[in-house]
Amino acid sequence: MAQTNSPTQGAEMPVMALDRILSMANQIGDFFAPYPPERRAEGIRNHLRTYWDPRMRDQLLQHIAAGGAGLAAPVIAGAKLLQDEAHAKPGYYGPPKA
Amino acid sequence: MPNPIKPEKSVVTTCAYCGVGCGFKAETRGEKIVRMIPWKEGKANHGHSCIKGRFAYDYYNAPDRVLTPLIRASIDDPWKSVSWEEAFAYAAGEFKRIQAKFGVKSIGAVSSSRCTNEEIFLTQKLARAVLGNNNIDNCARICHSPTQFGLTQTIGAGAASQHFDSILQADVIMIVGANPTEGHPVFGSLMKRRIREGARLIVIDPRKTETVESAHCKADVHLAIRPGTNVAILDSIAHVIVREKLYNEAFVHARCEVAEFENWKALVGDDKYAPEVIGPIANVDPADIRRAARLYAGGPNSTIYYGLGVTEHSQGSTGVMCLGNLGLSCGMLGREGVGVNPLRGQGNVQGGSCLGSWPHVFSGYRFVTDHATRSSFEAEWGVTLDAEPGLRLPNMLDAAVAGSFKGMYIMGEDPVQSDPNQHHVIAAMKNMECVVLHDLFLNETSKYAHVFFPGSSSLEKDGTFTNAERRVSRVRKVIEPLAGLQDWEITVKFMNALGYELSYDNPGEVLDEIARLSPNYSGMSFALIDQIGSAQWPCNKDAPQGTEVLHREKFPRANGLGTFMLTDYVPTAERTSDRFPLLLTTGRILTQYNVGTQTRRTPNSVWHPEDVLEINEQDAIARGLQDGDWVQMSSRFGQIQLRARISERVNPGVVYTTFHHAKSKANAVTSDLSDWATNCPEYKVTAVDVVRIRVPTGTASLEAARLEAAE
Ligand code: SF4
Repeated sequence: MAQTNSPTQGAEMPVMALDRILSMANQIGDFFAPYPPERRAEGIRNHLRTYWDPRMRDQLLQHIAAGGAGLAAPVIAGAKLLQDEAHAKPGYYGPPKA
Repeated sequence: MPNPIKPEKSVVTTCAYCGVGCGFKAETRGEKIVRMIPWKEGKANHGHSCIKGRFAYDYYNAPDRVLTPLIRASIDDPWKSVSWEEAFAYAAGEFKRIQAKFGVKSIGAVSSSRCTNEEIFLTQKLARAVLGNNNIDNCARICHSPTQFGLTQTIGAGAASQHFDSILQADVIMIVGANPTEGHPVFGSLMKRRIREGARLIVIDPRKTETVESAHCKADVHLAIRPGTNVAILDSIAHVIVREKLYNEAFVHARCEVAEFENWKALVGDDKYAPEVIGPIANVDPADIRRAARLYAGGPNSTIYYGLGVTEHSQGSTGVMCLGNLGLSCGMLGREGVGVNPLRGQGNVQGGSCLGSWPHVFSGYRFVTDHATRSSFEAEWGVTLDAEPGLRLPNMLDAAVAGSFKGMYIMGEDPVQSDPNQHHVIAAMKNMECVVLHDLFLNETSKYAHVFFPGSSSLEKDGTFTNAERRVSRVRKVIEPLAGLQDWEITVKFMNALGYELSYDNPGEVLDEIARLSPNYSGMSFALIDQIGSAQWPCNKDAPQGTEVLHREKFPRANGLGTFMLTDYVPTAERTSDRFPLLLTTGRILTQYNVGTQTRRTPNSVWHPEDVLEINEQDAIARGLQDGDWVQMSSRFGQIQLRARISERVNPGVVYTTFHHAKSKANAVTSDLSDWATNCPEYKVTAVDVVRIRVPTGTASLEAARLEAAE
């Protein structure tokens, strides 16, 4: 049980190829496109938070910190909300709130 | 002399071949099964069955069934037969070594819909409590994961809203991307019976399936859409419902989030979804879109059944949401005769979904990120659990290719054959240091495995299955497990070898644990099922014998209301081109069971000896093809060779094949695109071309080419 806290060697290694991460993130952005900007950002954020392994999220955020080439602007806006705990809604699941 | 086929004993159990979950009486003599009799009391089948369930049981004693555990240090070595103890110790040692070297998250587990509920639950327990991460997925990932996502978003429960018999109250039946006459035969006959009684039928499917036209079955409207345009066509149907005000305003006001309904009306009511705009995109007559919309909205009882033709797309989850939106807007939920229902492929896909074999939710679809839920599992299991979602199966494979994922426990699955983009899967498999495969046969994946646990067939174990109508039925041991252990025992002993103490006297105790930890199953037990035959979840203190129809008073969402999602059509990135001008779509046929691991080993193969490519006459003539010619089909991802059959069932521009036989390797050509929300692969759309070849190249050289490509 202490396993979850043990050190993770190889943590510097990217969890998967970056182009997969980017194409998946852009697909999520496409779905939320019809929502108004604030809800769109929140929807993208919630989806990444709930369904993505934290290492995938980190990889995405690192890429955004390095300029975010290849990512649609709303995806960047949504992903950035991950860094702000104010947006955390434990167990929140459903359409982005108005 | 005693009659050698006269049965001495009979046991009631459940067919594992499809989501109907027919009850059977398995009759044995000695340790041999002599026949399977459809069980009259079975609530899913009422004494009916199909040829798969009745005759395809012989696989259990096929000559290539593996009966001892196997290990090897490298996939280039030959297998070595060992004792169970040695196999468990070796696999556990390897997993621990890998975790020490590459981190806790470098290992994961995958379960299958061929597993019982209890085995699926134990496999997620193994990943979460013993391996210490949430890298747990199941094969519903590649078929119905969008169902769980899309339906939960709109109506709150990722499961069929109805019981099968509900269709006998339906006036309009809409079938989307499914072929129940072939795929779910016993349910298919129920549907035909209702059609004979006068129900109207709408079918949305690129192919003219047996459901569209066959004896006793003729669709009033068939929308033979271009593959990949589901969401466009469903939005266009919604457009007609909105513009012609065919929706059920009273239902929406009483039962749904009205503001979201207004947002949805604005989206689908836009001119861009008018039938005249979408018709040409989807290659259907706009008038047919209007007819379909009016029929569905007119009811009075309209019901939707859908299959993989909706889910296996880059917009699979969106397509499912469209169906939820339609049901809500027309008030077609919450009573008999209506509903939105997934038709599940394999036996226990619903159970696979319910029982927490997902990287982000525990059993009962409760989030690993949720503190209260996690605490209840931690208290029961006595360990601290990972609070973050794990990797999904396609992501595990991506991570293996990248080198961050090194080992996998695979129970009853064959990812090399069943997962898309085979080259990528093989590259992932080869990059892992310990693949533990738990199955009946040395399947395609076994070529890349290091440990093999010989499993038990569904005739050799106890447990429960949950069918496509949420019905939990007993699987009962008919004969002793040929390799000595039932599947649930193998998983438990593997957990023990990994250093986690636990034991169960029987899988009924696992079901009790499931009941303690999962609200919808809280009333389930072997005792209850033995007493009443079967029960549909939710089964709890409010519904001690289970629930036939969901959503009668409210939807299982926080505020009890259904909601509408904005389902814009986003065309798939997989497009036809000069080089690949045809669209390939895939499916299944009656006599075989998915990738065919079992049915191929039975005389049922006589009915379907090989996978063939259906092609329209016009496309065939353009390529100089005649019926029965060998062809090579290529896509951006690979090539396969198979025989062509000229068929009116597919439109010009579309070709179709099944994927039952490993030797045709249909997944060598399928793309790596997947659903935006769940990564469910886009099996239903691949741009291909087809050329005639004289004779097939030897399978061996094809194989070699593929292996090279994978490296
Ligand atoms: S395959 Fe399906 S329909 Fe056929 S007997 Fe089995 S459960 Fe019933």
